[in-house]
Amino acid sequence: MPLILFVALAQVATAPYFPLLGVTANPLLVLLMCWAVVRGPRETMVLIPLAGTFKDLITTDPVGVSVLALLPIVPLAAIRERQPTESEFLATLAVVAVASLSYHLLYMMILTAVGDGPPWLQSPMRVLLPAALFNALITPIFYLSVRWATTLSEMVRPSIRVLG
Amino acid sequence: MRTLVWLLVVGLVALLGIALSQLGALDPLKNGALTVASPLERGLRTAASPAADFLDNVTDRQDLEDENRLLRQQIEELTAEIAHLKEAEFTAADLAELAEVEESRPDDQFLAARVIARDPSNLKERLAIDRGSSDGVSEGMVVMSEGGSLVGVVSKALNDFAWVTLITDPNNNVNAMVLESRAQGVVSGSLHDGLSMELIPQDAEVEPGNTVATSGLGGNFPQALLIGQVAAVRGEQQDVFKKAEVEPAAGLSHLENVLVLVSFTATHLVSP
Repeated sequence: MPLILFVALAQVATAPYFPLLGVTANPLLVLLMCWAVVRGPRETMVLIPLAGTFKDLITTDPVGVSVLALLPIVPLAAIRERQPTESEFLATLAVVAVASLSYHLLYMMILTAVGDGPPWLQSPMRVLLPAALFNALITPIFYLSVRWATTLSEMVRPSIRVLG
Repeated sequence: MRTLVWLLVVGLVALLGIALSQLGALDPLKNGALTVASPLERGLRTAASPAADFLDNVTDRQDLEDENRLLRQQIEELTAEIAHLKEAEFTAADLAELAEVEESRPDDQFLAARVIARDPSNLKERLAIDRGSSDGVSEGMVVMSEGGSLVGVVSKALNDFAWVTLITDPNNNVNAMVLESRAQGVVSGSLHDGLSMELIPQDAEVEPGNTVATSGLGGNFPQALLIGQVAAVRGEQQDVFKKAEVEPAAGLSHLENVLVLVSFTATHLVSP
């Protein structure tokens, strides 16, 4: 949990200073998506409301916008779980790109509903696609970190049982 | 089934949160969260700034970068001064108008504020400052750079913090004029495409290098606040209006401190 909150904070503090293709990355979305793919969607069902609420509290968004925009991560991970592929990494890249697109679409819909809507015609080429590409580019960092942490915890758990 | 129930419950709670936010009921919570988070954000940003600077100026040496920053600031200050002088020159010819301007714009009073965060979403251009309603900041107040050029408008004032919508935000429109030709238009932001001045009459003379400042029309901004310089002019002869690309005078992507113009109150005109 502290890691997720730290990533949300770091995203708000530093992501605008590292733009690529005119957009900023969404490390929180990528981390949650990788988490859901590697460890299963169950844990992210707790993490999404907490991380999304925290992010909204420290940005200009109404509280709840990020939570709603992050919701598709869980069904996407559930679909991914039911359809195993040869390469988990490539599948993760694909779901991160889809999650990024759905995140921005939902985010735009909610902002439009609350009267703060962005220009819809410009957004697909200038935000949606570049952001999906940028998020897919940073996926290996988070995927490998979550995979490594999961493997490590699985190795430590049996040894604790033996010690116990 | 469990996923569906979760989606419904969390979705409904999130919608409730959005509704409460719109009513301002969660503002104290947001203020508290920013109070806790802003020092951490500042620390993270300070830690990340060398990397950001490195990526920003991969080929530049540090001393050139510092010199460039200093020169940019000087250019901005001088251009703002020129804008004011040009405006004074023009208004001297029309004392009645000048009197009106003076009446509507008392001695400017500024409140210095530090930029503590930027909106990380790709769809908005906003930044947070460490001054709020307890310092006298209110929604609609004009925000300027240290060099005196227009940065944006306070769009949300919490108790100790405020969010400023930048002039480059896609939802921001500023009535503006080209000082050299007095041509009027509307400066609008767009998604990652800087500023553009639209609705310029086709017969107006606008050239690259011309100075763009606020016109004061509409009452949302004081008159003759420097916005930027014309970078390029677009539009064919048959078009009704011209369009100009405007380079903002303020370095909006690296703002650290801003000035809130607390003495100016926006006028919300109501059609008769």
